[in-house]
Amino acid sequence: MTKDGVQGAGEEEQAQSKKGLKKQQKEAEKAAKKAEKQAKLAEQQTTEEDDFAKDRYGVPPMVQSQQKLDRALVRIQDLTPEMADQLIWLRARIHTSRAKGKQCFLVLRQQQFNIQALVAVGDRASKQMVKFAANINKESIVDVEALVKKVDQKIESCSQQDVELFVERIFVISQAEPRLPLQLDDAVRPDGEGDEDGRATVNQDTKLDNRVIDLRTTTSQAVFRLQSGVCKLFRDTLTTKGFVEIQTPKIISAASEGGANVFTVSYFKTSAYLAQSPQLYKQMCICADFDKVFCVGPVFRAEDSNTHRHLTEFVGLDIEMAFNYHYHEVIESITDTMVQIFKGLRDNFQTEIQTVNRQYPSEPFRFLEPTLRLKYREGLTMLREAGVEMGDEEDLSTPNEKLLGRLVKEKYDTDFYVLDKYPLAVRPFYTMPDPSDSKYSNSYDMFMRGEEILSGAQRIHDASLLTERATHHSIDLEKIKAYIDSFRYGAPPHAGGGIGLERVCMLYLGLHNVRQTSMFPRDPKRLTP
Amino acid sequence: MPMYQVKPINGSEIKIDLPTCMYKLPNVHAQASSCSEHALQNGELDPAVAALELRQDEIMRRLYELKAAVEGLAKTVTTPDADLDVTVTSLSQSPTSTAFRGTSDLDSLLGKDLGALRDVVINASPTRPPLTLLVLHGLLCQRYRVLSTVHVHSSVAAVPPALLSCLGPQHADSYTRQRFQLGFTLIWKDVPKLQMKFSVQNMCPIEGEANVARFLFRLLSPYPSEPALATLIDSWVDTAFLQLAEGSTKERATVLRALNSSLGQEPWLAGPELSLADIACYCCVRQTCSSTPANVQRWLKACDNLGHFSSTLPLLQ
Repeated sequence: MTKDGVQGAGEEEQAQSKKGLKKQQKEAEKAAKKAEKQAKLAEQQTTEEDDFAKDRYGVPPMVQSQQKLDRALVRIQDLTPEMADQLIWLRARIHTSRAKGKQCFLVLRQQQFNIQALVAVGDRASKQMVKFAANINKESIVDVEALVKKVDQKIESCSQQDVELFVERIFVISQAEPRLPLQLDDAVRPDGEGDEDGRATVNQDTKLDNRVIDLRTTTSQAVFRLQSGVCKLFRDTLTTKGFVEIQTPKIISAASEGGANVFTVSYFKTSAYLAQSPQLYKQMCICADFDKVFCVGPVFRAEDSNTHRHLTEFVGLDIEMAFNYHYHEVIESITDTMVQIFKGLRDNFQTEIQTVNRQYPSEPFRFLEPTLRLKYREGLTMLREAGVEMGDEEDLSTPNEKLLGRLVKEKYDTDFYVLDKYPLAVRPFYTMPDPSDSKYSNSYDMFMRGEEILSGAQRIHDASLLTERATHHSIDLEKIKAYIDSFRYGAPPHAGGGIGLERVCMLYLGLHNVRQTSMFPRDPKRLTP
Repeated sequence: MPMYQVKPINGSEIKIDLPTCMYKLPNVHAQASSCSEHALQNGELDPAVAALELRQDEIMRRLYELKAAVEGLAKTVTTPDADLDVTVTSLSQSPTSTAFRGTSDLDSLLGKDLGALRDVVINASPTRPPLTLLVLHGLLCQRYRVLSTVHVHSSVAAVPPALLSCLGPQHADSYTRQRFQLGFTLIWKDVPKLQMKFSVQNMCPIEGEANVARFLFRLLSPYPSEPALATLIDSWVDTAFLQLAEGSTKERATVLRALNSSLGQEPWLAGPELSLADIACYCCVRQTCSSTPANVQRWLKACDNLGHFSSTLPLLQ
């Protein structure tokens, strides 16, 4: 599987995938032949000599919870030089195996950690046992009893570099099929490296088609551990700030932001929509005196855009908060939350970040505390100084967004900043206009590495102004009657915003495709796995 | 008039019959002579000239007043042992007039106003807080409407609270950025050398506290036009940062001797007025030297009296 961009630059994707399939098949055939040969060889060599280590290896019956062994299984990451000369049990996958005469080297893997193990013919292991160990398929799960030994020279290829295991017993708990759709080592190879050595890299679609195996790679393990960290830090920070977590329905009766880009589902005798954002419900909770709420849940967008940063279903981290006098109170609250997340990641997820960087090198994420806040007009001025021609009330295009990100990084050296006071014309109808200049609004976007991650604003909490703005945007008042009505019975001033979890992870790690940070991505062309 | 007067040869009134189909012009000769005569005789001035004279007088009077005021101020400021109340000077500047002057000044100094805040970004390491710049920040605040913000960069783990509040309390109007003339953004960051970024498009980052100090001081007052004096100031600034701040004990002692002898002759380092030389040397002496000779001590006290340096005090411990 060389990179298929070399020949097929102009070809369609389908043809490419066909080619890929063929190649895969060929490779599979090769592998099968090889396996056959090996099997034959093994048979030939297997003499009927007496095997003294018969009980020390094998394939035990399937674990159906017949017995409850009182056996402690050690985690690979705990195997340090302090554990030397202890006899331990562990369960791991066979990452690679390499037989050499009377010895067989295995690399045992457990999540992102791995260790070298050795089966050698001696008074504990027989020839047959070594052969058995060498023939266990990759990715099979084994139970191993082994002696921990210190090594003289560091083992560079493993995460546990100071110790290795001398295997005493080895049992296969779950046998993997001999042929893997993709090799883990190929999947973690940095983009440039494969080309130089003529070694294979795996393209994105193959990875996503075999997501379960791809998720086993160290890179994926690190990405999703970090993602879980983002969620946890988000929840923890907001909870300490006095926020309440809410759960909102995802099946809604009316589209909140125009019907064009929502999914329609049939709902008994009528139809319903999948929520684009919990916007309406967050605001209703504010009107219901919850004061500060947040919500973590799926968000659906039926936009047919196939870009590196759009998904049709993603996890939204939404915040809505009532404030006292100025919506900057809310901006400060949100940016502080983000900074806490960044700090938490910087301090607690350094291993994960470095693991991802090994495959996808990127600069460490930089930020300021308190967060830099620029005005939209300042941003425009910076762009104009750089030679971009833009109207005062024009929205930022994606390239301009990126350019502005670069300019801000150049001057302030931060990858995270807020752009405040957007033109009213480019924001949704419920955005509060700026009191001093009606061309602008009390709305803001937040950017990470020059890409938008959050879009928020002060919302209009006055029913009559809301009606006026809705009419101005020529929205059918009947359809949003319930929404407007919720502000009739006293509503506090409030503001908020929504963040895409996948985007935050992608941009924090400096990855190039949001599918890398979505466990099972959904886009207009992908519904499985 | 020191000339003879000659009587007109003709009778003063000659009647000529003029045709009526032509434009009438006043007789130039007749009018001039009669006017000057009239003026001479009565000793009176033309009202237009009188008005002009009056206006000039008024302008001169105001200029003298201004000069006197400035001299008075200069006396109090430049006399080292003058007992000066800081608050009075800062209050005495009327906000509107300075603001107006400030805008025009900044336009001429920094180029055209493009409708956005001119933001001076300074990256400084928290291990070596730039005292000189904090003093200059205080002076800038007296002159312009400055939006000052302090940030901590992610490359720095923790910053002492004194450094976070070193630019004073946050401005009450800080949410309206366009109301300010100048932004002063101090970022505590892990940098080997202090760094200033202003106009990313046209300027490379300026490195070194001394150079940044020169830039900021020029926003406050023009450099002396006399080359010798300007060079003297520059040389003192260099001495302060290269020899006082970073030098060995021996070098420091040499500089202190030089300071002492210079301050024996003049109240300030570069002549009769406070300059950047004094600010830079003051900060470096305070930061590094424990004991100082007599003249330097007097000068340090004079600096303290000015009150510009009070912002550095919490950071000196």
